[in-house]
Amino acid sequence: MNIQRLKWLSALMALTIASTGIAKESPAAVTQSIEPATIALGEASRLTIAASGADTSEITPPMVNGLEFVAVGQSQRVESVNGVTTSTTSVTYQVIPREAGVYTIPGAASGTPPVVLTVNPGSGGSGPSRGFATAQTPQVAPGVTPAGRADMNADGSAFVRLHLAKHELYVGETIPVDIEVGMRNGFVASLNGLPTLNGDEFTLNKLSSEPQKTEDVIDGKPFTVLTWHSALAAVKPGTLSLTVETPLTVRMRTRPDAGPFGEAGLDAFFNDPMFQNFFGASTEKEITVASKPANFTVLALPTRDQPADFSGAVGHFSVSSDLSDGKAAVGDPVTLRMRISGTGNFDRVSSPMLHDVARWKTYAPTANFEPSDSMGFRGVKTFEQPVIAMQPGAQSLPPVTFSWFDPSTRQYAQARTSPLPVDISPAPEERSVAHQLRPQANPSALTPSGSAPADAAASGLRADHVIKGRGAASMTPYYYQPKYLGVPSALLLALSGVWFWQRRREQAAADAIAEGNRPSLDPQPLINVMDDARTAGDSDLFFKSARAALQRDLASKWQLSPEAITLEEVSERLGAKSDVARLFTLADETAYAGTRLTTLDYQQWRQLVMGHINAKGMS
Amino acid sequence: MKRTAAGLFFSIAVVGSAALGVSRAETVEQPPIPSIYSAAALYDVGNFYARMGRPALAVLNYERARVFAPTDTDIQANLRHVRESVGAPARTGGWLSQHDRLANPNTMYWIGLFGLALAGTSLLLLRRWTSSHRAVLRTGAVIGVAFMALALGDAFATASTLHESVVMFATPASASPVSAADTLFTVPFADVVSVRDEHGGFDLIIDSQGREGWVASRDLQPVIPRSEAVRGFRQVIHRPAT
Repeated sequence: MNIQRLKWLSALMALTIASTGIAKESPAAVTQSIEPATIALGEASRLTIAASGADTSEITPPMVNGLEFVAVGQSQRVESVNGVTTSTTSVTYQVIPREAGVYTIPGAASGTPPVVLTVNPGSGGSGPSRGFATAQTPQVAPGVTPAGRADMNADGSAFVRLHLAKHELYVGETIPVDIEVGMRNGFVASLNGLPTLNGDEFTLNKLSSEPQKTEDVIDGKPFTVLTWHSALAAVKPGTLSLTVETPLTVRMRTRPDAGPFGEAGLDAFFNDPMFQNFFGASTEKEITVASKPANFTVLALPTRDQPADFSGAVGHFSVSSDLSDGKAAVGDPVTLRMRISGTGNFDRVSSPMLHDVARWKTYAPTANFEPSDSMGFRGVKTFEQPVIAMQPGAQSLPPVTFSWFDPSTRQYAQARTSPLPVDISPAPEERSVAHQLRPQANPSALTPSGSAPADAAASGLRADHVIKGRGAASMTPYYYQPKYLGVPSALLLALSGVWFWQRRREQAAADAIAEGNRPSLDPQPLINVMDDARTAGDSDLFFKSARAALQRDLASKWQLSPEAITLEEVSERLGAKSDVARLFTLADETAYAGTRLTTLDYQQWRQLVMGHINAKGMS
Repeated sequence: MKRTAAGLFFSIAVVGSAALGVSRAETVEQPPIPSIYSAAALYDVGNFYARMGRPALAVLNYERARVFAPTDTDIQANLRHVRESVGAPARTGGWLSQHDRLANPNTMYWIGLFGLALAGTSLLLLRRWTSSHRAVLRTGAVIGVAFMALALGDAFATASTLHESVVMFATPASASPVSAADTLFTVPFADVVSVRDEHGGFDLIIDSQGREGWVASRDLQPVIPRSEAVRGFRQVIHRPAT
């Protein structure tokens, strides 16, 4: 290291010392807390003693008969606000009771209030009471896996720890777990993802993206510790091992360990990553840090004495129920509520509520869970079921049961609510809504979220309707659904098709009639007449029929009507001296003057006519 | 409809309860959507919300029930009751707009289809049949055409519902479809508005008092949930003026 850098370092150290001297220390104060405050015998609690403005030596473990205190962790937090520096040192003890009872743990310092720890002998049973049945609710105490260098990664830059409540649990049982990721300041550049479980034997509730962040000093090294509070559950029985790992980016030294300052003393100081980073003597590398394996004994839920309505709930629960109204009319719905509170796997807490109850109509219940902690381990799950009385009179709703497995007693438990009385009045007559309408409500009393007092809009409502028959699968009317628009279109198309077909048939018939009225262009009948005239020696008829036969033949060839085939037309097209023109002329002369023909003449003229008719074309 | 035990809101609602995207889920329950739509089911859901003190959702479901049963007096009474109990403005419109629909549009659709078939068949047979049947066929054609006219009228009347929405939260209406635009007026919740245009998360609406302005689409819930077909039809009916 050159002289210039040593000057920089000296200036930096001087500045740090000066600023430390200027800063004011806040007065010392000692607080302590215990969590949870109620546990069962055999479980443990955690006592945290925090001393503000004091060092660790001022914190001494308490002494209470019947309780054992084991130091499991220590952390230090330094805050500087507006030039006022506050240093808080916290020491955590695991509190293990020897016997059941109520213990008062005295304050760690004068002026510090004592805390009380209640240790129950074990889990109690449940018993029905008037609409309220409780079961003992032992708290799950977080046992703590001691921290140490053993769960550090190889270069001591980071660690992952699991704080588990216990190591023996049942399948489906949810236990709280704290996942701590410690990152040595200056060594770890970034956290590249949330901690994840290794293996598929356990499930972990979703981790928050904003974990609890504390500063800790471990073996004299400053660490930033991120803590996620979550819940863990095993999905299969057996002896299982669990580790948690998290991806990090750490800074690696690129300079040799041995420096100009020797093996100890200042060398360790100048090899600190803070200084390595400052002078650009490190590089970044992505690593994955894993926790030490935590071993579990996961027990299968017993099949013996398993209640029929057991849905997989494991934990400690209490059950209560009530009705939305103790009075109702026939046909009016009332809501039966069952609240299940406690700790455990609330995702498996379910109840069919009531069904097939005489003189009552029941509907499917809904469920709503309100957690009271961030991990969803503790809270209240409320089931609401609309029920409708079918007959008037004093009636009662039958009890509702809920079964679960209690891991502390290792037995199934069942809570049964008491019957709930309800006074059912006869159905009121149809009332005119006009009489029910209240005076105009004050709009200013309405909340901006669009809600109003429930009774403001509810009273005076006409009763519900019976749902009959099949409804529509969509709110959109058929008119505007393409598949339904196709039906009238197809029908219209079919009708149009029939109309066109019908019209075409009619047209064809009309054409056929018209065709029947048109003069025939077939010369054959006239040829027959011509032959008959030749046989009879009627020259006049012979030439007339011969001319008519040629007229029909020429008419079809020239696309004219037979009447248009005149001597002039023939003379113009075929020549005045053509055979056809001569025949036309002869036919006229025979009609007026008469002409006697020989058999040979008849034959020649017939051949001439047939020759023209049989000819393919004639221009 | 007959009065009897009901309240079937949950049993018909749970299946599709997550489908409707109410934007402020933290302040209002997800409105139940029946898996099968019927006037009675929607009416019961409306009653449920009215009892829960959620008038906007109650009005939305009553309006939906009214699509299927436009002449049901219970729906009209409860709708009027809820609207008046929260001080929502009365809906305006002439006699024709209030009595232009007779029955469930899906029933009217089948009636129109029957009318088309009857009129078409009668007119086709009129060309062929003898005079002894012509009077019957003419009557059939007239009845068919009348049914078609009823259905077409109902279709046009129902079309107005396609662009109606219920205001779920009191929302400011501005002069242009941008967040920073000046507020013209505030549309009260539970009001039924007509949506004329859409642009970038804003709807151009005309409220029940005839005022026009742009409001955030997330504060509205369409009476008839929008589908591509309906949206296309809306654009045809209410093509923005250019």
